[in-house]
Amino acid sequence: MEFNIDDLPVLFPYPRIYPEQYAYMVDLKRTLDAGGNAVLEMPSGTGKTVTLLSLIVAYQQHYPSHRKLVYCSRTMSEIEKALVELKALMKFRAERLGREEDFRALGLTSRKNLCLHPSVRREKSGNIVDARCRSLTAGFVKEKKEKGEDVEVCVYHDNLDLLEPHNLIPNGVWTLDGLLRYGEQHKQCPYFTARRMMQYCNVIIYSYHYLLDPKIAERVSKDLPKDCIVVFDEAHNIDNVCIESLSTDITEDSLRRASRGAQFLDNKINEMRESDQKKLQDEYEKLVQGLRGAEDSQPEDAFMANPILPADLLKEAVPGNIRRAEHFVAFLRRFIEYLKTRMKVRQVISETPPSFLAHLKEYTFIEKKPLRFCAERLTSLVRTLELTNIEDFQPLQEVATFATLVATYEKGFLLILEPYESDTAEVPNPVLHFTCLDAAIAIKPVFERFDSVIITSGTLSPLEMYPKMLDFPTVVQESYNMTLARRSFLPLIVTRGSDQSPISTGFQVRNEPGVVRNYGNLLTEFAKITPDGLVVFFPSYLYMESIISMWQGMGILDEVWKYKLILVETPDAQETSLALETYRTACCNGRGAVLLCVARGKVSEGIDFDHQYGRAVLCIGVPFQYTESRILKARLEFLRETYRIRENDFLSFDAMRHAAQCLGRVLRGKDDYGLMVLADRRFQKKRAQLPKWIAQAILDADVNLSTDMAVSSARRFLRTMAQPFRAKDQEGISTWSIEDLRKHQEKMDEERIRELQAEQERAENGEANAGAAAGGWDGKESDYEMDEDAEAELMALDN
Amino acid sequence: MSRKPGSTSASAGAPAISTEDMCPVCKTMRYLNKDMEFLINPECYHSMCVNCVNRLFNDGPNQCPYAGCHRTLRRKGFRSAFFGDLAVEREVDIRRRVAAVFNQVEDDFETLDDYNNYLQMVEDLTFDLVNGSDARRRQAEATLQQWEAEHRAEIERNRRAGRDADDAARRRIAAEREAARQRRVDALREAEQEKLDRARSREAELDSLASAGPDSASRVQLKRRGGQVAAQRALDAAVGAAEAASGGASGGGGAGGASGVGGASDVGRLSIRGLKEKKKPAASEGPYDPFGGLEFTPSRYRVLPGVHTHPGIEKYKSDPAHVTGGYDFDDYTARAMFEAFAGLAVFVEDEKEVGVGLSASEVTAISAGIAAVGDKMDLD
Ligand code: SF4
Ligand SMILES: [Zn+2]
Ligand SMILES: [Zn+2]
Repeated sequence: MEFNIDDLPVLFPYPRIYPEQYAYMVDLKRTLDAGGNAVLEMPSGTGKTVTLLSLIVAYQQHYPSHRKLVYCSRTMSEIEKALVELKALMKFRAERLGREEDFRALGLTSRKNLCLHPSVRREKSGNIVDARCRSLTAGFVKEKKEKGEDVEVCVYHDNLDLLEPHNLIPNGVWTLDGLLRYGEQHKQCPYFTARRMMQYCNVIIYSYHYLLDPKIAERVSKDLPKDCIVVFDEAHNIDNVCIESLSTDITEDSLRRASRGAQFLDNKINEMRESDQKKLQDEYEKLVQGLRGAEDSQPEDAFMANPILPADLLKEAVPGNIRRAEHFVAFLRRFIEYLKTRMKVRQVISETPPSFLAHLKEYTFIEKKPLRFCAERLTSLVRTLELTNIEDFQPLQEVATFATLVATYEKGFLLILEPYESDTAEVPNPVLHFTCLDAAIAIKPVFERFDSVIITSGTLSPLEMYPKMLDFPTVVQESYNMTLARRSFLPLIVTRGSDQSPISTGFQVRNEPGVVRNYGNLLTEFAKITPDGLVVFFPSYLYMESIISMWQGMGILDEVWKYKLILVETPDAQETSLALETYRTACCNGRGAVLLCVARGKVSEGIDFDHQYGRAVLCIGVPFQYTESRILKARLEFLRETYRIRENDFLSFDAMRHAAQCLGRVLRGKDDYGLMVLADRRFQKKRAQLPKWIAQAILDADVNLSTDMAVSSARRFLRTMAQPFRAKDQEGISTWSIEDLRKHQEKMDEERIRELQAEQERAENGEANAGAAAGGWDGKESDYEMDEDAEAELMALDN
Repeated sequence: MSRKPGSTSASAGAPAISTEDMCPVCKTMRYLNKDMEFLINPECYHSMCVNCVNRLFNDGPNQCPYAGCHRTLRRKGFRSAFFGDLAVEREVDIRRRVAAVFNQVEDDFETLDDYNNYLQMVEDLTFDLVNGSDARRRQAEATLQQWEAEHRAEIERNRRAGRDADDAARRRIAAEREAARQRRVDALREAEQEKLDRARSREAELDSLASAGPDSASRVQLKRRGGQVAAQRALDAAVGAAEAASGGASGGGGAGGASGVGGASDVGRLSIRGLKEKKKPAASEGPYDPFGGLEFTPSRYRVLPGVHTHPGIEKYKSDPAHVTGGYDFDDYTARAMFEAFAGLAVFVEDEKEVGVGLSASEVTAISAGIAAVGDKMDLD
């Protein structure tokens, strides 16, 4: 269907549109026009991706600025999904417009997924694929080849050099699959095709890390222009992604391997001094000029990823005491030895970067400045030595990154040394956590570099939390409701068991047999009434294990077994995917199944349980984080002091966003239906923190139920859902045809006109009023009419 | 500046045996002596256990027990190493010496390039000292001394400046830590205060409910009803008017409790039968009195609210299990007083004569029962 938003013609590839999709587009356009950021919460299963894409593509094609779209998603399957949607959209546009538009869109993912090299692609670990690819494609390898030396290269990569650099692949939308196929046909590397063509694309779809992880972002996303439209989809966890990308953990083992790496570098340097003194000298000369000078030669194949340095630092020359290769290695070794000594302490230490640096200087005479250059210097050295077995240097690289970060950021980071794994452990296993506390640090460059950043997801409530935590201004913050022709999902809050005693996974009561039994009964009852699939979420693996073993003892599992197959998520990805497979089969063949999983696990984030795969989701307990963690405590304190977010507010926000994610799993479209059961006494008070579209669907009668009451209303709900429901019933309510849309637009226009008129009138009246006030209280009538504000009203009453 | 530094193998100048678990001198294993501690002497950086050090060097200087090492060591020189890798320990010791002499800072130089060259020169020199050949080491040593002699004043100045800067930095870190601690304490206190406030306001509400004058109860109810206040007030006014009217008709008697009596006397005076009794407005009855007007205020003594205390009940006053239920401690004291004084005006003999029908033993049994109940109350 085709319609206009203001002056912008939008082509939407479906004959019908949801009202919330239209609202979303309007707000999105407003944001783009204003050139600011937005936080948009759109219920799951309402076609967020296609909405976003059709508006932005329309925007790109209509306005002369042709702003590029950078669309970030979390997983590879989501990237592929978005690409497929985009492809369909472009096809539709071509049909409607009668011509192919000049348009190119590409997805980018890791080498592991895009490699074509017959032996490299078979490697299991992504790191090894990266490393092996580098060893085949690095600049010096090619030089050697040209000199006639016998070195292995990758044809797929070298073929690229034969093509026009800005036209490696024809126009069109390339899904990852399509890209692979094209690469195979033309014998060119899909990964590098995508990387090099990024500048010439209208739409880029890739994972968060290419923008947020400063170690990668610098390489991959450097050339994107400022007016890009950046979208983070499924962004409810974006703060954690930011934090993780800047945090490192250092263990004794990694230090040992780093030492070994340093030793190896040392040997290599000696070797090279014998054979090829000139190269070292060249590097040295370059470093005298400054880091960036040394780098420009090979922007793409950079060996290791480095964290962002402030731009002025990159132009500066490398400090004199680490310019020479051997000096630098000795420097690294000293730093590593220092860390080793620190790890020997047997008590918990938490320290800010400045105090760490002061101590470091006192004991090793390492200054802050060379430390900052550590990561870049290491990269340069590794490149000079023409090393290709990078995986050996991974730990050394980590230490260097840590050095750079600790010397660059004074605030927002904390070093925490934990000598024991747990409070009860006897054998020390020290870990030095260098943890980022401020999510804003990693994402700041993104906000600074790009005009419009859109953060969107199905669960972002409370909306104002994100701008606060990530420290950015917004133009639009909006949460959309789900328009439904029938109540197709039923959220229930169960606070009591059938015996009326409260249920909760609060710390004091979680292992009480009464509570566990009540949860067991709840599960049994819902297993009885739910058709096909039932998904159960626990707050943690630990608790899930303990409750399952207790249920086993109480015979509850046997009871559930009568109705459904029972499957359990484990931390192991392979096992879990097997369990999921079985679960799906059981849901399809009518046996039905229960999947027991964890609210912060893989299943809760990426897996959809649409239709028969999930007819009910049971959220057992509020999924709070483990609050005893020192890292979390430090972060809470930081949030309180820096952004004035109180501990409890954050914890509860965090728990509820995970709960909302779990709930959203079962409802993946408007023809879908499902039960959402929140089983904990504490949910009663947290109801307001759910996303608007869920919170509004909770009836007041459903917030304080006991198990039996919940079961009876669930039964009633399922019976209604079993009635035939035709697509026609939704028309005009939850789906709009073009006429409905027109009507709505007209209405909105009218409303706006009326509003404008009213405003004008008000202004006029205001004047009249002022005049009237001078001449006594004659303007009384108009006072009543406008009911402008409370004061005017009061005055009118007084008269 | 492109001279080639000597062999960089770190172990050239010092042994790199990391003696973590066994003393190389007496061969004691850590397995046998858990708290074994190793010491080194910066003369030669050979490490040995404390026992060996005491055994060999307590009686004055002695030769290092390592084979091939002929240095004379003194007990005083021994210390424990900071680094596990003794080569690094040695390197750092040398650096300390170098840093004390070469302590120029960036501001002392015209350009950054000059500073960087200076840094590299120092680093080269340190390298020579750490693991250069003998000749180089001697040369470096000489350079070091020369520089020290030439730049004495400057070095002294920089040292002082450096120390000041360090002190300032340390102070700043300490101050920051203190401030952070303070903020943490404040936040805790705030949270505590909030909790307390909440508890207190709940208590106050309970109190106001409990000290139930009839109108205060209705006030609380009104508060609950919120928006209806005005309507209720209007209704009250109407009721008041009606009451006044009926009072006037009965020709006497006040409002409130007396109105019922007045009504009764009305019926007595007019003797027309079959007349329907006029429906009085419901609200005029006032609150229902379950005791039918019986007065409970003691006449022989007074209970002062909040004055009577008893150590047995003190602890319950702050116990949420008692307070949340609305348990009133004044009531408790009042009742205890009542029980204590209840028998004062009663003479058992007289009662017997009137013939209540209780034997003396029964009376004592009952009173014992009452006492028991009282005790239990105390225990709860
Ligand atoms: S260049 Fe491409 S095809 Fe060749 S090894 Fe690297 S990723 Fe694989
Ligand atoms: Zn010994
Ligand atoms: Zn010795």
